[in-house]
Amino acid sequence: MFKAIDVLQPEFIQKPLNELWTLISPLYKADEESWLKELLPLAKPTEQQLADHTNAASDLIAKVRKDDDNMSMIDALLLEYSLDTKEGILLMCLAEALMRVPDKETADAFIKDRLSVADWASHAKNSDSFFVNASTWGLLLTGKIVTMDENQDGTPANLVNRMVNRVSEPVIRKAMNQAMKIMGHQFVLGRDIKEALSRGKGYRDKGYTYSFDMLGEAALTAEDADKYLHSYEQAVESVGKDTYNQKHRPTISIKLSALHPRYEIGCEERVMTELSESVKGLITKARELNVGITIDAEEADRLELSLNLFEKLYRDEATRGWGLFGLVVQAYSKRALPVLAWLAALAKEQGDRIPIRLVKGAYWDSEIKLCQQRGINGYPVYTRKESTDVSYLACANFLLSEHTRANIFPQFASHNAHTIATIHCLAKQLGATSEEFEFQRLHGMGDALYNHLIKENDICVRIYAPVGSHKDLLPYLVRRLLENGANSSFVHRLIDASYPIADLIDHPVTTLESRKSLANPHINLPANLFDDRKNSFGPNIEIASEWTPFKAKIDAFMEQDTQWRAFPIVGGEKVATGHTHSILSPYDHSQAAGQIDWADTETVSKAIDLAEAAFPAWSARPATERADCLDRAADLMEENYAELMALCHREAGKTIQDSIDEVREAVDFCRYYAQQARSHFATPTSYIDFLGQGKQAQLKGRGVFTCISPWNFPLAIFAGQVVAALVVGNTVVAKPAEQTSLIAFRAIELLHQAGIPTDVLHLLPGDGATVGAPLTSDKRIAGLAFTGSTGTAQLINRTLAVRGVAPVPVIAETGGQNAMLVDSTSLPEQVVRDAVRSAFASAGQRCSALRVLFIQEDIADRVIPMIKGAMQEQAVGLPYLHSTDVGPVIDKKAQKMLLDHIEYMKTAGKLIAQTALPEFADKGTYVAPTAFEIDSIDQLTDEKFGPILHVVRYKARDLNKIIDTINNSGFGLTLGVHSRNETTCANIASRARVGNLYINRDQVGAVVGVQPFGGQGLSGTGPKAGGPHYLQRFAIEQDL
Amino acid sequence: MTIVQPIQIQVAQAVFEAWDKIGVTGRAEKLEKALVAFSDEQRNMAQWQIDNAKREIAETRVMPGPTGERNELSSQGRGPFLCISLVESDKANVGLVGQVFTALIAGNPVITVGQVGQDIMDKIMPYVAEGVIQNIADSALDSLIEADHLAGVATLCDDTQAQQLSQRLAAKGGLICQLIEETDSEQLSTIAKPHNLLRFVTERTVSNNTTAIGGNATLLELGSMDD
Repeated sequence: MFKAIDVLQPEFIQKPLNELWTLISPLYKADEESWLKELLPLAKPTEQQLADHTNAASDLIAKVRKDDDNMSMIDALLLEYSLDTKEGILLMCLAEALMRVPDKETADAFIKDRLSVADWASHAKNSDSFFVNASTWGLLLTGKIVTMDENQDGTPANLVNRMVNRVSEPVIRKAMNQAMKIMGHQFVLGRDIKEALSRGKGYRDKGYTYSFDMLGEAALTAEDADKYLHSYEQAVESVGKDTYNQKHRPTISIKLSALHPRYEIGCEERVMTELSESVKGLITKARELNVGITIDAEEADRLELSLNLFEKLYRDEATRGWGLFGLVVQAYSKRALPVLAWLAALAKEQGDRIPIRLVKGAYWDSEIKLCQQRGINGYPVYTRKESTDVSYLACANFLLSEHTRANIFPQFASHNAHTIATIHCLAKQLGATSEEFEFQRLHGMGDALYNHLIKENDICVRIYAPVGSHKDLLPYLVRRLLENGANSSFVHRLIDASYPIADLIDHPVTTLESRKSLANPHINLPANLFDDRKNSFGPNIEIASEWTPFKAKIDAFMEQDTQWRAFPIVGGEKVATGHTHSILSPYDHSQAAGQIDWADTETVSKAIDLAEAAFPAWSARPATERADCLDRAADLMEENYAELMALCHREAGKTIQDSIDEVREAVDFCRYYAQQARSHFATPTSYIDFLGQGKQAQLKGRGVFTCISPWNFPLAIFAGQVVAALVVGNTVVAKPAEQTSLIAFRAIELLHQAGIPTDVLHLLPGDGATVGAPLTSDKRIAGLAFTGSTGTAQLINRTLAVRGVAPVPVIAETGGQNAMLVDSTSLPEQVVRDAVRSAFASAGQRCSALRVLFIQEDIADRVIPMIKGAMQEQAVGLPYLHSTDVGPVIDKKAQKMLLDHIEYMKTAGKLIAQTALPEFADKGTYVAPTAFEIDSIDQLTDEKFGPILHVVRYKARDLNKIIDTINNSGFGLTLGVHSRNETTCANIASRARVGNLYINRDQVGAVVGVQPFGGQGLSGTGPKAGGPHYLQRFAIEQDL
Repeated sequence: MTIVQPIQIQVAQAVFEAWDKIGVTGRAEKLEKALVAFSDEQRNMAQWQIDNAKREIAETRVMPGPTGERNELSSQGRGPFLCISLVESDKANVGLVGQVFTALIAGNPVITVGQVGQDIMDKIMPYVAEGVIQNIADSALDSLIEADHLAGVATLCDDTQAQQLSQRLAAKGGLICQLIEETDSEQLSTIAKPHNLLRFVTERTVSNNTTAIGGNATLLELGSMDD
């Protein structure tokens, strides 16, 4: 961590660029307390400055409030429908989705769903804005109509209602669509650049200028990226030809994720070539026409990539010496200051100027959520709003410093009166003229603030204005607005005369320093997400400082000279049976990961003997001691993370992120079951029996448990079953899948190292005939946990049942025919992203993977081509490369079955798309991700465990029939739903007989203790793995 | 070849969704009305099972996790359950009542057998929808056990009978049919334990991305919260 205050020294940016570059990445998730202590001196005002800033802010707010015309329509709307009210959110939900719903039936149902659950009456006549009041009355009336009492058959209950209802639906739909169009008109400056230029003239007359952005969803296909590029080119051309008010030329802002379908670190090579070429073309055109270009900032994971791309383009002849190619930096990022320093040094080195828009950042909540989900051990953003404000002022101090101004043209984007006033004061104090910086605001927000500023000062204010069709843009803008709740809340308070001005002008440094801790104690670090256990850790593979050292550790196990040698482990001894098998890497069968000896009958028998003998002592150990072993095992797995990941790559063909997820899941299983055991097994449960007598029951182990696990989660499921059985007090004989026994061998070694006695836990690698059969037919087996095919589960169940002993628990997790239901309110981009991930991640070799995608016919022609386009962007390849999305399937048998099915479907269905295979595919067992359109799920007889997706169109009115069809398949593992209609989601949730239902997200990757996992019917017996009831099934409950 | 399910299984499947949807509280309300008709000990057993279900599975459990998603765990019935006592005694009848009420309160439709079953069904039937509880003659038992869509058998029996039943159920195709056996028909030492109920249910997790349309109200609240 460098000394932040040093950036104010002119020589700081004279350091070599590569030296300054090294300061950026390590701050990705820097300790918030320590880094803010560094930043505070840069933002801290002197007493005089504080007084000046406060007075300026106070003065500005007072003027705004006196202004009769102080609100734009969006401000007014947000004032009435604040985003912290139910009505505000509901209104935005409608705005986000209604315009894209093509069919009347779904639109009407959606309107009813959204409008019938809020108190619109309370908003009537509150606002001074005609627009807001008209909207409110519209909503109020509509809400009344759609909530009319109904008879059971859905008809209105009385005559008046019936009359109203007869005319109401088309009228309501039309009125609501009209309302959304009005809203779109407010949010979007123009449907095309021509309209935007025309509508912008009024503000330009006042002294404003513009930065136009052809905003929208990120491109998922090459075709969409081309469309965006074309619209940016048109915009550059139109703005270039525009001659209106030349004082401050409008510019164009570009969103890189719209210009390339894979703008991400994993595809760096493509970004630095394909995307670079696209942007260079734009720059060339823009330079010819003298239209500045600014690259928008996006998610934290893309920051370093965006800087690399920026540097390449900035140094290019096309840009050199221009001075109008800039980018956006987000102050909420802990890396903001060193990024600015690096950019200043870059500009200095080239002798140019870089325009930099400093924003606070618009993805704060998704950054936090993502880190929590991925187990990153820190956040890339500050956890308090005032910390972001402090960072903003610290960055502003640097940007406005004399030595920086020569190379950077700062553009301060904010809607916060205090920030604006402070920057303005700071600029004066540092001697920056109004030619050396500018302010920026969003179209439709902060009008009043800037109207005053611009009237009283000769200063440039640029309006960032979205341009595009209302239908495409409104959903995007509404999401940004909702994600930017902090902004809207300030707008809300700024205009609300009852809110004291004094409370709006606290200096962020004062506020932050008054806190007990600089980091927000209410937002736990991802490691502390759970109250009762530590969350598993995951490195961020998108960030160089995180991933490079981690990868180096994995690489140490990736060479062919690293070969694992594994054996059955019985009583802690490695048993060399002579039945030696090589384990080949699925991505290249000429490479071996190692060798393993399979167990023979004698070894199996000895293991059961020892396990049986060890049961009484192990069972008698306090549950807390057994739990401690699991916690130690979790820690050991994290200590051996790199080796376990290398095994996932080399033995199971797992991709990088899949391998991380694999280790994390195993770690989580250990810690979760340890905690569950402490809660439920350490002491007896008191209860009153049915005769009214007080009793105590103790959950105890049953005896020797057999655990049979699959190859698709060779560590996680293997470890999950084993530790669950162990912590309850059972002894365990474990048979891993033949294909993935090396990692199981390492897991057993780690469990023994963690303190599980060697006579309690035994590893028996081998096939079903030699190992599986005796492990299921031995009379001493007291229970069995199995994950695999439905057929094998039935076979095992039969074998256990004919042993001539009392029935024992069989905990089976089996197959699925998993579906996803998509209606026309859903957002196609989200659907395609989630469907492609659900179907093809892990080469479709997840129990939860999507097999049948049901798309409402009204949007199928839009969604299916997008799926095709997105599949063409998938990269099948070597699993240990970051660029690979889909690795190999496990072995030749699996490959043949899948290829046969693909051949069959080529005649039984209609091919939608097939992802290209790499040239070297023949070396391993690859299957190209393939999608077919079929007529019905009934065309599929059983699960095809691989990257094959089937798509079925359905009519909106047939939704319930589709649910019946899915239920009738007998499987019931996962189901995905994409819909904005909560009533629809609730209906599906209540009717679908599945174990795990996912709404508006992908349907893979259940997290232990968060999303307990397991199916019903043909998909499994339950209870759910990683859930609160799992351990009880491994135990007996005895009265004391 | 089309396999014809016994009519009772078809009926049970038809009513299953509606019965399951009512929830534990709704089912308890109905089942408690039937209690007066049972003998004291049977009533106590039935009430105990209802109360246990209210404690253990009535509430949907919100699971902890990342902000911006909501994960809920709840229980559902498994499907048609056969409840039968292969032991004849007053205590066994109490046990059978316990099995029937546990299966029902968990959300499953129930099929009882013979005269003992008929008596139980008659007492419950007025308070539940048609088909939620049915009874078959002893002679129809075999075809019911063989039925594909039978989700479970809750029984009072001896060890040998349990083994035999287990074998028969395992020999079937289709879903793995649960055998919930009480072999201690005098003390009822298995079925009247707090966790036994869990064998009658299947669990469901619903994971909702609450930030799909943008915004994360919970987090924004935490972010702006005072110390």
